[in-house]
Amino acid sequence: MGRRKKIVQECEKLMDKPEQIRNIAIAAHVDHGKTTLSDNLLAGAGMISDETAGQQLAMDTKEDEQERGITIDAANVSMTHEYEDRNHLINLIDTPGHVDFGGDVTRAMRAVDGALVVVDAVEGAMPQTETVLRQALREGVKPALFINKVDRLISELQEGPQEMQQRLLKVIRNVNELIRGMTEDMDDVDDWTVSVEDGTVGFGSALYKWGVSMPSMQATGLDFGDIIDLEQNDKRQELHERTPLSDVVLDMVCEHFPDPLDAQPRRIPRIWRGDAESELAEQMRLVDDDGEVVLMVTDIGIDPHAGEVASGRVFAGGLEKGQELYVSGTAGKNRVQSVGIYMGGEREEVERVPAGNIAAVTGLRDAIAGSTVSSVEMTPFESIEHISEPVITKSVEAKNMDDLPKLIETLRRVSKEDPTIQITINEDTGEHLISGQGELHLEVQTQRIESEQGIPVITGEPIVVFREQPTGACETVEGISPNRHNRFYITIEPLSDELVETIQLGEASMDMPELERREALQEAGMDKDTSQNVEHIYGTNILIDDTKGIQHLNETMELVIEGLEEALDDGPLAAEPVQGSLIRLHDARLHEDAIHRGPAQVIPAVRNAVHRGLIAARVKLLEPIQNVRIDVPNEHMGAASGEIQGRRGRVDDMYQEGDLMVVEGIAPVDEMIGFSSDIRSATEGRASWNTENAGFQVMSNSLQEETMKEIRERKGMKLELPEGVDYF
Amino acid sequence: MLSFVGLGLWDERSVTVEGRETLRGADRVFAEFYTSRLMGSSLDELEAFHDCAIEVRDRAGVEQDPDPILDAAADADVVFLTAGDTMISTTHVDLRMRAEERGIDTRVVHGTTAEAAASSLTGLQNYRFGKATTLPFPFVHASDGVPGSVLDTIADNRERGLHTLVFLDIKVKGSSTDRRNADLATDERELEEFMPADYAAELLSEALPETLGVAVCRAGSPDPLVVADSLSALAERSFGDPLHLLVVPGDLHLLEADALRELAGAPAALVDEHTV
Repeated sequence: MGRRKKIVQECEKLMDKPEQIRNIAIAAHVDHGKTTLSDNLLAGAGMISDETAGQQLAMDTKEDEQERGITIDAANVSMTHEYEDRNHLINLIDTPGHVDFGGDVTRAMRAVDGALVVVDAVEGAMPQTETVLRQALREGVKPALFINKVDRLISELQEGPQEMQQRLLKVIRNVNELIRGMTEDMDDVDDWTVSVEDGTVGFGSALYKWGVSMPSMQATGLDFGDIIDLEQNDKRQELHERTPLSDVVLDMVCEHFPDPLDAQPRRIPRIWRGDAESELAEQMRLVDDDGEVVLMVTDIGIDPHAGEVASGRVFAGGLEKGQELYVSGTAGKNRVQSVGIYMGGEREEVERVPAGNIAAVTGLRDAIAGSTVSSVEMTPFESIEHISEPVITKSVEAKNMDDLPKLIETLRRVSKEDPTIQITINEDTGEHLISGQGELHLEVQTQRIESEQGIPVITGEPIVVFREQPTGACETVEGISPNRHNRFYITIEPLSDELVETIQLGEASMDMPELERREALQEAGMDKDTSQNVEHIYGTNILIDDTKGIQHLNETMELVIEGLEEALDDGPLAAEPVQGSLIRLHDARLHEDAIHRGPAQVIPAVRNAVHRGLIAARVKLLEPIQNVRIDVPNEHMGAASGEIQGRRGRVDDMYQEGDLMVVEGIAPVDEMIGFSSDIRSATEGRASWNTENAGFQVMSNSLQEETMKEIRERKGMKLELPEGVDYF
Repeated sequence: MLSFVGLGLWDERSVTVEGRETLRGADRVFAEFYTSRLMGSSLDELEAFHDCAIEVRDRAGVEQDPDPILDAAADADVVFLTAGDTMISTTHVDLRMRAEERGIDTRVVHGTTAEAAASSLTGLQNYRFGKATTLPFPFVHASDGVPGSVLDTIADNRERGLHTLVFLDIKVKGSSTDRRNADLATDERELEEFMPADYAAELLSEALPETLGVAVCRAGSPDPLVVADSLSALAERSFGDPLHLLVVPGDLHLLEADALRELAGAPAALVDEHTV
């Protein structure tokens, strides 16, 4: 306790010296050793004992994390490190690597300025490596590389210095290719590739707690030959003592990662679309401690005593107990109950958390992961939830009816903590739907409901989420209100992939100033006139108002939008969400009197018009797909590629990498349910494999009708398809 | 044959003699009461008085699924009833057109309407009314407060010196398929609600506080009430049982001014301001 207290005091002393602060995330492909590395850093900082680092997994605080051996939630911790005679405060976030928990990674990146990307020396850069790099760079977060598990090259693969060097250089080359590709279009970044010479690459073994970098080798005089000797002769403890991993990595962090003063001027324009000329923008860029309070919430956790704890990055001002703060998207203010910093799994309360730090706050009852919390009303930060859409749904029911209210409350909270989870509450049937990134994601969340809340639940089979999308343009269709006095004339066409991506990335949204939105849409290929008439964006669908001077339409537009949203939430084919459509309102005829063009008239008229327009535009069913990569010994390659092909998948590439064959391809998520046990038995457990959600794809015509009927039956809809659906 | 019969303003006896005889000869009788109501009478009293069974249809049953009514009218004498007149301030011309399209003969038997009462009870000349409008409950309309089109209609009429008849919204049991109501608890949804003139005057007085208004209450009943005062003063009063409507006069002709003073107790000063 004494030591811990001392660390807290040291942290507090450094909190208002931004030039001595580093906010960093550790991110990697699953099992490449992030959490073990984090433990090393904690031990180095004296927060856990040296002996247990590596086995303790201090950052995996939840029982299920320790059981499954993976990190599920991003965890925060603050520590201090002395580098070049100056003490530094390091705020660290460990992130999950499994693809199902990508949402946590994206949110963590918002809070930090540097990302230490960990790559397994044996496996090299993997699909998730690419994903986390993209997540980091998109947020303007500077990367550095740590190549882990180098001990395996020496002891398992028996590689000599030459081979080893080549392998490591190849890893670096691959990572740099990714970085170069992703930063090409970033004007605010010069060269963020990593290199051994610059000291932005480290090597080592988190398991055996040693690490080296070019500067450390120069300082200690140890070279690769010495390391191989020590490793081979089982003198790992000596290796650890002579060149401890934590020092090498933390030195690298202090030297190469930007402090908030360096990072915020670059990052604020990337992540905030408010008025760049305003005083508030200036305060955020300059990390102004005396400015307005601006906190971006990146995570909501539950503390058994304090309730909901919001954590996030303070971009300006200082957080203090008792402040009344606005929470974006909600009315009124929340009162800060306490502020603190993270020490492993626990919080330590402090007086004040100034700009440039990562804070833990209680009392922000309206905040969700992604909220902007501030002392003045302001444009919220860019949304950070857009990268991963849910692809799998499962029903959840309480075993005992008495638990129902508690279950609903818990489900709502789960979606608040993890915005990549979507919850659909059905009060009538008591059967609620929980949607997320994959089988594992949902399994973990539902098990937590049982084990942490003590609510026994019955869960249904996982079902994939479908989408509906127009595939052609349609002639004008007419939507008539029930009283036939109101008519709407619309056309629908598909949006280009570029425009869809622009919306998905939040580069064009209704939240931003009109001019900026117009420019973003034009840049993505929308013509000028159309971009000026954008009335609404919903999901990845855009409503264009091409009408001119229609009396009363402004009063009715809100109802038009309601009808549109209803139509898009439940598409015409199977009541699945519609995506990628451009809806143009060309003309409308409205009744003179408001009462005869109320919700009961306008909403059904528009809903009907949109559905018939979609059918006329040949709307089709889309299913989620995944990129699949299987690493497998040569003799099992046929079985492995067979597993992809047998699942309506496509094998795109097969190549040798080291002594293994790599099979790459895509397959529908629906078919991938149960893949893990099948691939294991097909390859006698010799395959390692990874998947990554890769968006949605139009299903083949031969499957459209059958799938539609299946979904309609499951949802209790009429089996008969709507009129006009005959183009398959 | 499909006969549209207006029941008039108040109770089972407000119908015309011709309407009553048409009802007597009918094979089937349909009615809708979502656009307006006879406040002085119940369905039972109507059925007893006219000695017939009345099948009440909701909005969806008239607008979205009118076929049962039309089927019946194809080979029998069917009467379709509403309060007031079936074609004034409601939208049943659509039903008539659908019948004609199917080759069914139709006829209209008029009833007295609020439009007539607004003129005849107030003494305001029917020649001098401009466009009429309905003031909806704020929760029914998508935006808060008074829809711009209502205020625009009044302003346009006043600019041309014309009176505006303002119908007041009603929510009748099961009248609505709108989602805002569907969100309410069932018993709330079942509640009948009639906008009173004082509430309407309050809504309008925000934009037009010192403007002259006339509340017309329980038109067609044995004891109708007509009160003229500034809208903000009307907002402070209460006018008893429904239905109410409101007239916002434009410029007043001499006799109109006299009538409002004599029959509706309008303050002399306010009336003078409006007189040309």
